Amino acid sequence: MNKKKLSRSSSLQSSVTSVLAALLCILIGLLVGFLVLVAINPAHAWGDGFVRIIKGGFHDAPYGVGKELANAAPLIMTGLSVAFAFKTGLFNIGAAGQYTLGAYGALYCAIMLKLPWFVCLLVAAVLGGLWGAIPGFFKAYFNINEVITSIMFNWIGLYLVNELIYQNGTGPMYDVRNTRTLNLSKNADFAQSLIPDFGLNKLFQTNSTTIAIFLAAAVAVLIWVVLNKTTFGYELKAVGLNKNAARYAGINEKKNIILSMAIAGALAGFGAGLFYLSNVSQWNPLNSTSLPGMGFNGISVALLASSNPIGTVFSALFISHISVGGSFLSTKFYPTEISDLISGIIIYLCAFSMLFRGKIQSLLFRNAEKTNVNAEPASAAEKTKKEGK
Amino acid sequence: MAEDYVIEMLHITKEFPGIKANDDITLQLRKGEVHALLGENGAGKSTLMSVLFGLYQPEQGKILKNGKEVAIRNPNDANALGIGMVHQHFKLVECFSVLDNIILGVEPNKMGFLQKAEARKKVMALSEKYGLRVDPDALVSDISVGMQQRVEILKMLYRDNEILIFDEPTAVLTPQEIDELMEIMRGFKKEGKSILFITHKLNEIMAVADRCTVLRKGKYMGTVDIKDTTKEELSRRMVGRDVQLQVEKQPAHPGETVLDVENVTIHNDQRKKDVVKDVSFKVHAGEIVCLAGIEGNGQTEFIYGLTGLSKLSGGKLTLDGKDITHESIRQRSKDGMGHIPEDRHKHGLVLDFSLENNIVLQRYWQPEFQKGGFIRADKVREYSDRLIEQYDVRSGQGSLTTVRSMSGGNQQKAIIAREIDRDPKLLVAVQPTRGLDVGAIEYIHRQIVAERDKGKAVLLVSLELDEVMNLSDRILVMYEGEIVGEFDPKTTTVQELGLYMAGARKQGKEEQ
Amino acid sequence: MLLLIKYTLLYGIVLMLVALGGMFSEHSGIINIALEGIMVIGGVAGVLTLTMLPASLSPFLVVLISILVAALAGVIYSLLLAFASINLKADQTIGGTALNLLATAIAVVISKYFSESGSAKLNYSNKPFLFSIGGLELSVFVPLGLILLVVSYIVLYKTRFGLRLRACGEHPQAADSVGINVYKMRYAGVILSGALGAVGGLAYIVPPVQTWNFEVGVAGAGFLALAVMIFGQWKPFHIFGAAMFFAVFKSLANIADSTFLAQLHWSSNIYNMMPFVASMVILAFTSKNSMAPKAEGIPYDKGSR
Repeated sequence: MNKKKLSRSSSLQSSVTSVLAALLCILIGLLVGFLVLVAINPAHAWGDGFVRIIKGGFHDAPYGVGKELANAAPLIMTGLSVAFAFKTGLFNIGAAGQYTLGAYGALYCAIMLKLPWFVCLLVAAVLGGLWGAIPGFFKAYFNINEVITSIMFNWIGLYLVNELIYQNGTGPMYDVRNTRTLNLSKNADFAQSLIPDFGLNKLFQTNSTTIAIFLAAAVAVLIWVVLNKTTFGYELKAVGLNKNAARYAGINEKKNIILSMAIAGALAGFGAGLFYLSNVSQWNPLNSTSLPGMGFNGISVALLASSNPIGTVFSALFISHISVGGSFLSTKFYPTEISDLISGIIIYLCAFSMLFRGKIQSLLFRNAEKTNVNAEPASAAEKTKKEGK
Repeated sequence: MAEDYVIEMLHITKEFPGIKANDDITLQLRKGEVHALLGENGAGKSTLMSVLFGLYQPEQGKILKNGKEVAIRNPNDANALGIGMVHQHFKLVECFSVLDNIILGVEPNKMGFLQKAEARKKVMALSEKYGLRVDPDALVSDISVGMQQRVEILKMLYRDNEILIFDEPTAVLTPQEIDELMEIMRGFKKEGKSILFITHKLNEIMAVADRCTVLRKGKYMGTVDIKDTTKEELSRRMVGRDVQLQVEKQPAHPGETVLDVENVTIHNDQRKKDVVKDVSFKVHAGEIVCLAGIEGNGQTEFIYGLTGLSKLSGGKLTLDGKDITHESIRQRSKDGMGHIPEDRHKHGLVLDFSLENNIVLQRYWQPEFQKGGFIRADKVREYSDRLIEQYDVRSGQGSLTTVRSMSGGNQQKAIIAREIDRDPKLLVAVQPTRGLDVGAIEYIHRQIVAERDKGKAVLLVSLELDEVMNLSDRILVMYEGEIVGEFDPKTTTVQELGLYMAGARKQGKEEQ
Repeated sequence: MLLLIKYTLLYGIVLMLVALGGMFSEHSGIINIALEGIMVIGGVAGVLTLTMLPASLSPFLVVLISILVAALAGVIYSLLLAFASINLKADQTIGGTALNLLATAIAVVISKYFSESGSAKLNYSNKPFLFSIGGLELSVFVPLGLILLVVSYIVLYKTRFGLRLRACGEHPQAADSVGINVYKMRYAGVILSGALGAVGGLAYIVPPVQTWNFEVGVAGAGFLALAVMIFGQWKPFHIFGAAMFFAVFKSLANIADSTFLAQLHWSSNIYNMMPFVASMVILAFTSKNSMAPKAEGIPYDKGSR
């Protein structure tokens, strides 16, 4: 009778719960962050500490906001990468490595081949996808846990890319003076490889705010469509939720695992392209001790968004927001890493957010559930009555 | 009676939501006897033993040890009372040695350091005394199932247990190993140990038991002395005479051969034996052929092979004239095979998908439901709504209900709707009514008969003799991976079937 | 050559300690991917202790106290993993990843708070940790590590505790059925990994240098230790061998420029990459009969028997 209404309320109910769970994680994370601020320097904890983190880029608008958007774009992509793999029941801890390969692909096409930016992005995605497909292959055919393989390939990727770029300091992509790859905006030769900004740089008074953020958001929508509207997405989700049932239905789960990891890798690689082709920063091949943080922050983004592609956009903006906010902390009073601390706590909480979700659900929708439970026996009784007559 | 009972379970009642698994059951175990507990699947045997072993707490009734009431809250309490159990699924750590498995939990030690020498001595002595041959240093993963069972038995003996529960111990053994086990049980009896032997194989009861308590559908059906009874008598008590569910159906009119199974053999690598042996039969259009048998006799493996979930070791499958032996699961589905799987949660449904997504699980790729890789959501909804209506699948939120939240009966109805509506030439239905209430069972039986009347071939696998007798036009009994007999339900009796299912008789060349 | 041995031992012992930690956790059934973070926490706690202890204290006490503090910090931090994965039955991999991210942030915040410069660099003296035998300069962690290796072996295979721990990682239902408290054993496994991982973190940071920038964490050593553990098939002496194997490559990377290897013109990147590639190849070949504890990664629920 009221089927449409009921169904809408049910899907609404689950998204409301997810959002509330995420907000709860954020709230607790911020609270702990505030306590840390108080512990370090109680006098400045509120105005110079907490408020600055909350204000994020708006502390120094429009520059800060531009910075936030520039950082959010790749973060959306790595978040999508992790979220996409999650949907197939895989944990892509290898986004960092795929991002690394993507960075190389983008920079090689830009600096060595002087290709237009969209081609560079495409190559970045292909290389990242390749790097993601390998752990997928190992998972599908050797049944080796994708987490272990991804971690290995993170480091193999890092050393490989550093070697290819550095080549003992003689690499053609390497700028000895800056100890980084060549700066794309310092040389007109590379202009076609820079992602256009359509005046955004001017608007935000930065030099790295390009349309990357819109590209990332568009990809998020695309991923949402793939997952929710296509047979391919249907298969991926079936494999992720119940591998046995997927097999029963004739879905090739091996193929889907590899494809899922390849696409996850491509998304991370694309993200690296967005970052380096916006010239937010240059690659430092001498840094052989840490993987790009974008990859791991992608995990936070995905968890916070409950792996929802659209949610990823918002959670990436949030993570970027507080980390830019953290960078505006006065180093006189506080270390800027407070924001990392907060996002770390948030992810830890997200790890068992299912628990929160259950609690919220039972707290908020207890009444609604009751009516739903009642719906079945009631209609059944009606039915028997009719049959009786 | 002032008899010498070591354990008495008096008037035990244990309820689960919607079902009385044990309804006022009394079981009295004498000291030094082998007491069999007989019943069909779902008769409540396991529940009763779980109560005795402290895994469940009964709502009513009490347990007495040597005449004194005792409380058994967990397996540790049971152990302390000298009750040990060989579980149907062994609780052994595979990468540990036999010795380590035996001492785990009661390790002899000095300051926490293991003292295995004395443990080994004790184990070897026990092994010698009861003829339980084991190699204490072998890894459990390397030894045969028979030896694993001996390890489980030694675990009980090592703990000086006096009351030994064997939960379907022969299901996984070869005939020779079964003979050995019987001999070992007799040895325990001589030692004054008391044994509870859960089974549904009549031969074994006749061979080894002193008395037998029979359960049927959670109810106590009496205790009999084996020397005063016969297999036929036990079988009658086990299955009962009263057939409750009657399905109205016309005589079958078998047509062309739809499924032709030729010499199918399936090897199980883990159990290191052929679990399906040289099985051949045909299923014709317009008939229901039932594969009957006790659980674990190769039915599951055969169905996996038939539907493509696992590979055959040998033999040939032909569906409607086409060789499908090496076809993929999807291709078999396209060729006209519908499959209502045994385990609806494992294979049948994606529980966290919506109902509509589960309803198109076997068809989402068909042109009707997709265009250029995009799912036609409106068509899916239309189709799902129609099936829900037509097959009376009840749920909280219609097509959008998460299947996990639905009742088992409605989950099963959704699967049946999905498989039947695909209009398959052959419908494979494996235990389609498992765990369902009477209403749902009736409904599903009607649907299956309707399919037959439409000229479909139906292969039914069932453990329920009632269902087998009611529904099928032809019965094949499977025992130890082989087809041991073919029957017409109109001319056979459940008692006769029971004898074949329990391996007491066999048709054909090897008839003894 | 002496240099190669020195670097190999120093680095190999670190990997071994941490991998032994991971081994205990996984034998109890908990995947500890947070080893990297535990190392960082152990490192920052130990180094901080080192900077605060009075210079007059005897070197032996300095070493002892800082190691104990590091271990304690590691234990406390690992409890976060234990709580999330044992009590709340959270996904162990995700929980561990979160703890890794959190650890670096905590370490940087703490080190910045305590350092004079306001950067994440802490200065300390590593003299108490070092000693020489015949021109070979070693750290106390080498003998300590070897002792812990033997102790680990004995604990795992010769004690009641070890037997029960391994039972919980392989078949918790079986352990439960013979009266073993699975939750308690899993806590014990994670706590041991916290202590060993944290000491490993200190051993990674202190001996080679006198100043450490906590922004780099421990540069993936914890992840490498995971690979060592797998390569070592979850067995103490195999892990020792695997750790040394990995360490040789790492040492080659360090000394490549100054020895005959320079003629190969291989960069340090290639040496760094090798252990990972090697373990990938080995994983692929041994995957069919992996020695991984069977129940690892699966939360144990008393209800489901």
